[in-house]
Amino acid sequence: MSNNQPANKGPVLSAPQATEAITQVRRLSDKQPTTFIGRFKENLQFVRGRGSLEISIVLAVLLIGYITASLISPAGFAFLNPNNLSGVISQSIPVLAILGLAAGILMIAGEFDLSLGPAITFNAIVFIKVSESAGLWAGILAGIASGVFIALVNGSIVVFTKIPSFIATLGMSFFWAGASIFVNGTTPAILTTSRDATMVFLFAQDFGSFRSQLVWLVIIGTIAYFFLHRHKLGNHMFAVGGNESAAEAISINPKKIKLIAFAIFGGLVGFASILIAVRTSSMQPGGSATQDFTLFAIAAAVVGGTSLNGGRGSVIGIIVGAALIELIRNGLLLGRAPGFYITLFVGITIVIASIFNKLMEGKAR
Amino acid sequence: MSSPLLSVKGVTKKYGPNTVLNDVSFDIGKSEVVGLLGDNGAGKSTLVKIMSGVVDATQGEFFWDGKKIEGINREKTEELGVETIFQDSALVPQMSITRNIFMGREITNKLGLMKIKAMDAITAQVLDSVVTIEGIKSPKQLVASLSGGQAQAVAIARAVHFKRSLLILDEPTSALAVRATEALLDYLRQLKGEGVSSVLVTHNLHHAYQVCDRHIVMNHGRKILDVRKEDTTVEELTAAVVGGAEGIRRYRESRGL
Ligand SMILES: Nc1ncnc2c1ncn2[C@@H]1O[C@H](COP(=O)(O)OP(=O)(O)O)[C@@H](O)[C@H]1O
Ligand SMILES: [Mg+2]
Repeated sequence: MSNNQPANKGPVLSAPQATEAITQVRRLSDKQPTTFIGRFKENLQFVRGRGSLEISIVLAVLLIGYITASLISPAGFAFLNPNNLSGVISQSIPVLAILGLAAGILMIAGEFDLSLGPAITFNAIVFIKVSESAGLWAGILAGIASGVFIALVNGSIVVFTKIPSFIATLGMSFFWAGASIFVNGTTPAILTTSRDATMVFLFAQDFGSFRSQLVWLVIIGTIAYFFLHRHKLGNHMFAVGGNESAAEAISINPKKIKLIAFAIFGGLVGFASILIAVRTSSMQPGGSATQDFTLFAIAAAVVGGTSLNGGRGSVIGIIVGAALIELIRNGLLLGRAPGFYITLFVGITIVIASIFNKLMEGKAR
Repeated sequence: MSSPLLSVKGVTKKYGPNTVLNDVSFDIGKSEVVGLLGDNGAGKSTLVKIMSGVVDATQGEFFWDGKKIEGINREKTEELGVETIFQDSALVPQMSITRNIFMGREITNKLGLMKIKAMDAITAQVLDSVVTIEGIKSPKQLVASLSGGQAQAVAIARAVHFKRSLLILDEPTSALAVRATEALLDYLRQLKGEGVSSVLVTHNLHHAYQVCDRHIVMNHGRKILDVRKEDTTVEELTAAVVGGAEGIRRYRESRGL
């Protein structure tokens, strides 16, 4: 198939009476930027109104506020304390950002998975048990495979029965929570001998100014960026989430694309489960220990500009969204606010962010 | 005589108890412009979707250049070089013009990464051929921000860019200004010269009569008229679209035919 329109074919839709002069004034290809800076400016212009720029400004303002408060009163608001910084920037933000990317990719393709939290418990237990019995590398593989497996089970139910993913995966979240008890009983699974130097180096090492988790976020974020925004499969996810029948009319298979989205979601959740398990060294079956992650991951995606209706979202926006949520949580902790404030605040943040997204959707160009 | 480009034989389509298409057969010749006419709900769009391989027929056979197409679907029609402008335009509003035009047919490197600069440049070029549509700022613009006419131009540009043998247009001019419409009709005549066939679905009988070599009139899911341009008049087509088979009979009677 030829992708090149013959250049000399002339205007396809030019009216016979259109004069040469008018034709030339309107030519779009002459307006194409040729320099690097020109292209950058054009990109920036069309990034505005798509969420990630606005949310980055909010994050910057919040950071300036925190830094100021911490400089004025280092004891009262210990944000700049190295321990605090390392905990937030190197541990909490990367885990939530990876989970946010997982939820976000699925949302872009037009689906949800509300069993994310209980799936973390299940994956972490699989990772711990296999690491203890068969070694680290088998454990890593098993943890990620468990995530992919769970997501593909959920995804198949959603894709083939056409039950809305909200309902199907809400039901499945109870199933996976129960399954974690079935696999491990009611006592926690604990990392003992397998939590050796290699495991810690890979998933929880403190390198002074940063930790392993942050490195993973950089790696995964970069791959996710190229996948979603540059790869044709990522493009198909936006297409299917944005207008499924339009994608189908152009011979993209929505079922296949959605199942791939579920699999990627599962792999990322599986990986995040490993980070969580290594950090805490143990996992309590039943799912209540990780249930908040479901809401927080979706919140990170939505705050980062991902549309609840599919077809819209960005990797940078989601990472910034995760950072914003973790910073707010950290600020509330440092300000000694009671625990329930955090869920209350995240709930409000999702609603405000959704309203904001809705407004931006109208403005987008 | 060589076989027609596409032969549709005995197509029936049922939605539940409703028969939307009833035993419809017709040919589309090579380099022929065929007008597909009929009132709202006559089944034109359904027929277009079936011919494009997007919707399955309940019954019916398809022949391409005399050879039977087994299990027609969008992948097969794409391979054959069929492009369709659907009535509901089939664009993704949240995506840019370029990404809509190349959706599913991205230009990529070996890793599957898209060559966005190259696609933008082609998009600008293809849209430039649609010069009578003003106000499109950049190939990176989201389709959501376009007017109805501009969006229709994008859908037309996509089909025009990828078509190789058959271009199907389902009410393509509904949102276009007069001049753009004239230009599109002109283009269909030009296509003939390039050996590309087309099917034009429209409400406007004058448009159809201007450019089509043959006219097929649908009524309640049945084909009631299939005539060459030389053998009919705008009046007869009007009578057929408005009055159905009965309309044609009365028209012919009044003319003493
Ligand atoms: N997906 C569908 N499900 C049920 N009925 C449909 C569907 N698509 C079209 N129809 C019905 O088929 C008939 C023909 O529709 P259509 O092909 O769109 O007609 P036209 O394009 O000629 O106006 C209409 O009565 C319409 O209600
Ligand atoms: Mg129609």
